[in-house]
Amino acid sequence: MPEPIEALDRLLDRRVLVLTGKGGVGKSSVTAALAALAARRGKRVLACEVNANDRLPALLGAPPAGPSLAELRPNLWSVDVRPHEAMLEYAQMKLHLPAIVRAVFENRLMRYFLRAIPSLAEVVILGKILFHAREREGERPRFDLVLVDAPATGHALALLRVPEVVGAAVPPGALADDMRWMRALLEDPAQTAINLVSLPEEMPVNETFQLERALRDVGLPLGVCFLNGVWPHRFAPGELDQLPPRPPWTEVRAAVSHLEARADLALSEAGRLRRGTDLPVIELPYLFDAPFGPPAIERLSLLLEGKLGVAA
Amino acid sequence: MRPLLPGELPFASRRLQVCVGAGGVGKTTLAAAIALRAAVAGRKALVCTIDPARRLADSLGLPELGHDRRRVPVERFAAAGLEPRGELWAMMLDLKRSWDELIARHAPSVEQRDRIYANRFYRQLSSALAGSQEYIAVEKLYELSQTTDYDLIVLDTPPTAHALDFLDAPNRVVDFLDNDAARWLLTPALAAGKIGLGLFGRGGGRLFRGISELTGAETLRELADFMLSLSGMYEGFKERAGKVKKLLASPEAGFVLVTTPKPLTVGEALQFHGALEKSGLAVGAVIANRVHADIRAAGGDELARAGRSDGLPEDLVRRIDRALSDARALRHGDEEQLARLRRAGIEPFALMRRDRDVHDLGALWSLTEPLAAKGDAA
Ligand SMILES: Nc1ncnc2c1ncn2[C@@H]1O[C@H](COP(=O)(O)OP(=O)(O)OP(=O)(O)O)[C@@H](O)[C@H]1O
Ligand SMILES: Nc1ncnc2c1ncn2[C@@H]1O[C@H](COP(=O)(O)OP(=O)(O)OP(=O)(O)O)[C@@H](O)[C@H]1O
Ligand SMILES: [Mg+2]
Ligand SMILES: [Mg+2]
Repeated sequence: MPEPIEALDRLLDRRVLVLTGKGGVGKSSVTAALAALAARRGKRVLACEVNANDRLPALLGAPPAGPSLAELRPNLWSVDVRPHEAMLEYAQMKLHLPAIVRAVFENRLMRYFLRAIPSLAEVVILGKILFHAREREGERPRFDLVLVDAPATGHALALLRVPEVVGAAVPPGALADDMRWMRALLEDPAQTAINLVSLPEEMPVNETFQLERALRDVGLPLGVCFLNGVWPHRFAPGELDQLPPRPPWTEVRAAVSHLEARADLALSEAGRLRRGTDLPVIELPYLFDAPFGPPAIERLSLLLEGKLGVAA
Repeated sequence: MRPLLPGELPFASRRLQVCVGAGGVGKTTLAAAIALRAAVAGRKALVCTIDPARRLADSLGLPELGHDRRRVPVERFAAAGLEPRGELWAMMLDLKRSWDELIARHAPSVEQRDRIYANRFYRQLSSALAGSQEYIAVEKLYELSQTTDYDLIVLDTPPTAHALDFLDAPNRVVDFLDNDAARWLLTPALAAGKIGLGLFGRGGGRLFRGISELTGAETLRELADFMLSLSGMYEGFKERAGKVKKLLASPEAGFVLVTTPKPLTVGEALQFHGALEKSGLAVGAVIANRVHADIRAAGGDELARAGRSDGLPEDLVRRIDRALSDARALRHGDEEQLARLRRAGIEPFALMRRDRDVHDLGALWSLTEPLAAKGDAA
């Protein structure tokens, strides 16, 4: 198994980094921290979220980006890829009838119809993201790194499998060609890594195992597992036993024990994760910032950079 | 509404309870706790869960597969030190199978049913159509409310951040199944008149060809086939969806909106709450789950002084102080979110965050103990 730190260093050399995991584990937070880090190191970064209401700009302390690319800070762009807009863009690109395309897309029945076509939404979402990953500006790529704050587990899997599934189902033609290059890009471990985000809790860890297996089964290249929100252990075993059994220490001990119990759980779940995964595990601490916002993201990003610094 | 029994949850006075909220907030846990408390208090209660954690399903005596209703054996109560006066029943709702059952009920023939089952569009329906999972869950509640004699049915639901997915689900499903769409699809000329955009004809035909070039003509044929195979069923669906909607709005049903005391989830809960009220649906309670405990222990100089007078290592006391201040920050953040709910006119019921997951009957019981009703009868 490669060393986590080394793995992280090489990770940023990919063109496309996808982050996924159970709902609420910190996918957006880790994506934002990685984006800030890569941009700081001089990479031109596009951070994409999927129909998520501009969570990334908020975490990075910038105004909403919306469905078109917006520059959040030097070297760092962001976009919220929404199915309806992406579909419109795709249809306009492919069908060259802007006015009619727009009129039809705004039609109610047409919308239902489009929504019903299996995978069409995923096709256009992934298509837009990967389009930007290949986009060029003169001699060089427009972006060095495209980060994808992907939806939670099941939806992410459906999204990432779209080139394979749709590619197999459609007749030769424009769409089939698109599926081919998308698949080649996604399945190339030199260019793409799918990364898992987890928490040191039972259900998220279980879901990480399932997701890792599923991604491996479909042949997508895996990167690392970010174990987010790891609670600190602050006391040696038995250390709190020296507190006298009287006020204020009884109350102190009860309060502190809750924190330690959570740290115990985190430790045992982190251990279970490391034993059960083949991926390098990169731990990120739980941050007690309230509210959890841009300063917390900057700290996560510096912590990640610190890990990189050790390797360099 | 009916009088509460001692030990029941005070907001669960309607016969049908629907637990809603964002992903991972505790809907399934709370649904089980509501039913458990009612059963112990003397009701015949059913909890209908969706994707329960394996260990919760085990505690309820539910097998890995299948969505039959099962009674939770009395021994399991005894193991948790509980003595049920009523009965606790549990089931796992299989969304796919419930759709199949719905189709079977409405299909005029076995052939038509099987044709629908085999269709790729049908098989993707639940993922492609927003709200279809929510719809089928509520549809199940309707069926159970009509065909069973439970005193209380608690419905767990799939994670739904937006109330619209829930409230609009019957309309969306009915709209989707609307045969207008099929007719339009099959005879674009007719649709051109109906839609009245004046843009169809050549352009529309081209667009249509364009789409079929993208998706393959096969896909369109399948969709058309799906729509056709539903023909004759639409009226039945529509009528049923109307009844489902009416049930949710009836005095029999109430919503339990579950959230965690975090900025994002509370934001979603507030929107959800607003939308429910606007639609005239009853919100029995808003539950703020996983609230951190209040820290009453002293910190700072006071702690340092106590440490010195008790001869404790300075470094230990300093680390304790840090830990307490972090714990206070957590509590403070939660309180802010509770206050935010209150400012919106909502008095949330708070459930404490446990150090461990809540999976067995004993833990479900003790978690909700602080909320339990004294009972209207008492
Ligand atoms: N390292 C951390 N320390 C403390 N809190 C954190 C940390 N990372 C994330 N959080 C908290 O968890 C919440 C959810 O994080 P985030 O939005 O990044 O998750 P997500 O996986 O993108 O969620 P979703 O599935 O809803 O998109 C954040 O609002 C924040 O409060
Ligand atoms: N108050 C609590 N303290 C500690 N753990 C809790 C608490 N409430 C719920 N949990 C745990 O949190 C996890 C998620 O809870 P649950 O499955 O009920 O959420 P859910 O809203 O149904 O999630 P989903 O949206 O994924 O269906 C479970 O492991 C449960 O045991
Ligand atoms: Mg997110
Ligand atoms: Mg659940």
